[in-house]
Amino acid sequence: MVDLSVKIGSLTLKNPVLTASGTFGYGREYDPYLDISQLGGIVTKTVTLEPRQGNPMPRIAETPAGMLNSIGLSNVGVEKYLNEKLPLLADVDTNVIANVAGNTIDEYAEIVSRLQHHPRIDAIEINVSCPNVEKGGLAFGTDASVTAAVVKGVRNQTGKPVIVKLTPNVTDIGVIARAAEDSGADAVSCINTVQGMGVNIHTRQPLLARIIGGLSGPAIKPIALAKVYQAAQAVRIPVIGLGGIMGWADAVEFLIAGATAVQTGTLNFIEPAGPVQLIQGLESYCITHNISRIADIIGSLEKRPVK
Amino acid sequence: MQTSDCKITAQDAITESVFRIRLSAPGISKLCSPGQFVHMRVSTGLDPLLRRPFSIHRAHESAGEIELLYRVVGSGTATLRDLKPGDVVNLMGPLGNGFDLEKPVDHAVVVAGGMGGAPVFYLIDALLKRNKRVTLLWGTRDGREIFDEADFEARGVALKIATEDASKGHNGLVTDLLKTFLAQHAGSAGLGGYVCGPEPMIRAVQDIVRSTDFLWQASLEEQMACGVGVCLGCAVKLKTGEIQMVCKDGPVFDIREIAFNG
Ligand SMILES: Cc1cc2nc3c(=O)[nH]c(=O)nc-3n(C[C@H](O)[C@H](O)[C@H](O)COP(=O)(O)OP(=O)(O)OC[C@H]3O[C@@H](n4cnc5c(N)ncnc54)[C@H](O)[C@@H]3O)c2cc1C
Ligand SMILES: Cc1cc2nc3c(=O)[nH]c(=O)nc-3n(C[C@H](O)[C@H](O)[C@H](O)COP(=O)(O)O)c2cc1C
Ligand code: FES
Repeated sequence: MVDLSVKIGSLTLKNPVLTASGTFGYGREYDPYLDISQLGGIVTKTVTLEPRQGNPMPRIAETPAGMLNSIGLSNVGVEKYLNEKLPLLADVDTNVIANVAGNTIDEYAEIVSRLQHHPRIDAIEINVSCPNVEKGGLAFGTDASVTAAVVKGVRNQTGKPVIVKLTPNVTDIGVIARAAEDSGADAVSCINTVQGMGVNIHTRQPLLARIIGGLSGPAIKPIALAKVYQAAQAVRIPVIGLGGIMGWADAVEFLIAGATAVQTGTLNFIEPAGPVQLIQGLESYCITHNISRIADIIGSLEKRPVK
Repeated sequence: MQTSDCKITAQDAITESVFRIRLSAPGISKLCSPGQFVHMRVSTGLDPLLRRPFSIHRAHESAGEIELLYRVVGSGTATLRDLKPGDVVNLMGPLGNGFDLEKPVDHAVVVAGGMGGAPVFYLIDALLKRNKRVTLLWGTRDGREIFDEADFEARGVALKIATEDASKGHNGLVTDLLKTFLAQHAGSAGLGGYVCGPEPMIRAVQDIVRSTDFLWQASLEEQMACGVGVCLGCAVKLKTGEIQMVCKDGPVFDIREIAFNG
């Protein structure tokens, strides 16, 4: 028996596999394809104070080994999230992580104050890294002092584990990760999407209506690994790794680079049962390599001998 | 519902760019209805990455097979074209809400443009099974993409063709045929309209049918990632201001409810 469990602050995950915000709806949409109680946890779609319709169409496009999106945080709003979406998860045996975003620093705190009493929410992930909105999002997550202010505001509202989701679109992710840690975050997750763009050469139009969007999928995996490694070097709190994970071997790379847990995003669209297959793959990997606790490989990157 | 590996049992070329493929998909053939689609992973590699949506062209429940009709437009469809009988693709489906066939329609007028011809075969099979009178108005740029005319006519379908290359039927657009049809059937009772084709055609039809008083169901296409309402990529705006997802709430919509200009 392999012990697949890991800890994110006070939260214990039965295995290190979570599904990423915006790629798994509000948790039940993929029920026909997998048993969500097998997951370490699910991160629900970013929720904002008011419902949002999202950006103009087209808002997705495919690029080599990746996809661009500019959904624009389309969501039902906190009211409906509490009354209609969370109850659907009442009897599910997995962790539920609510992902939140605000237009202002105060809005982050306000939305967390509305959510934090709900018994079904096991942790909160703060999205300061969405590239597809005018206010909040990326503009917050690229600035260490604004990130710190957002995290402090949220920390004052809740005793639940707070995870800060970071953007790769910065010069030094370690600086932002440290700002989050110093302001009371229990973990950071990285990465959100990488800013990207595509052009149709026949029409000369951008592939996305908003021109620039966020790149996800296997194309960004090396970027994500580097950011996870840098963040893990910079902070003592756990790092949750994501970006381009398509199978268990990718997940193992993230763990070795320093991630305590991983999230699957774009994979869910392609293989809805992918996250569960990934857990099985992690277990087989541990058996093959005689690893009794998966936590033992976290940050176990070896030095290459100098030649 | 599961994703399933489905073996290709046949694939033939209609033209050098349009292909008809037959797949062993017993589960899907049993569950599906006209207007629904399958979401296909054409390879297990990373490029093309996402699944590709295709309308069900025909379902053969007793054989446990479905057919798709597709045009090669990019890397996904090019990969599909190069597959041979015996090769396997992975399907999710059937997805989406198909056409409402229970509406009290005596005479169905089906408008198909370009690859909108794909779902129309299955739709007409179902309409004929329900003893409806069927008129098919079918337009393509290239007349060679019109096929099976004799079969439709043998089964009692009134077929009117428009081609832009003047190779078959009326030289022009399918919307010309629609205008003529509506002029001839002004005031007729029991009509029901079905529309499949590219967005510019659907917009034009929306305008033309404004004066009619019966239901027009249109099948829409949008770029898709998940195909099941999760990624929120395939939004369509309705005239009420509400946003719906083409994959989950459609792809079939009441044509009058669609707000094409946002
Ligand atoms: C519900 C639904 C049913 C469909 N049914 C059929 C069908 O029966 N037969 C058929 O030939 N095609 C159908 N399509 C369109 C088909 O999915 C696309 O042609 C296909 O995904 C293109 O993939 P590709 O990799 O070959 O091209 P890509 O390289 O992805 O794209 C090439 C070009 O096709 C356009 N395109 C890509 N995806 C779509 C799309 N989903 N809708 C419209 N344009 C697109 C792109 O904008 C681009 O210009 C359907 C689409 C939807 C949403
Ligand atoms: C369509 C789509 C929607 C997304 N929506 C959100 C969101 O609402 N909130 C968020 O924090 N991240 C969102 N993301 C980012 C993902 O959670 C993830 O960080 C990113 O896609 C990288 O992981 P991947 O390569 O495994 O997909 C979205 C990604 C995609 C592709
Ligand atoms: S394709 Fe994802 S919501 Fe429609």
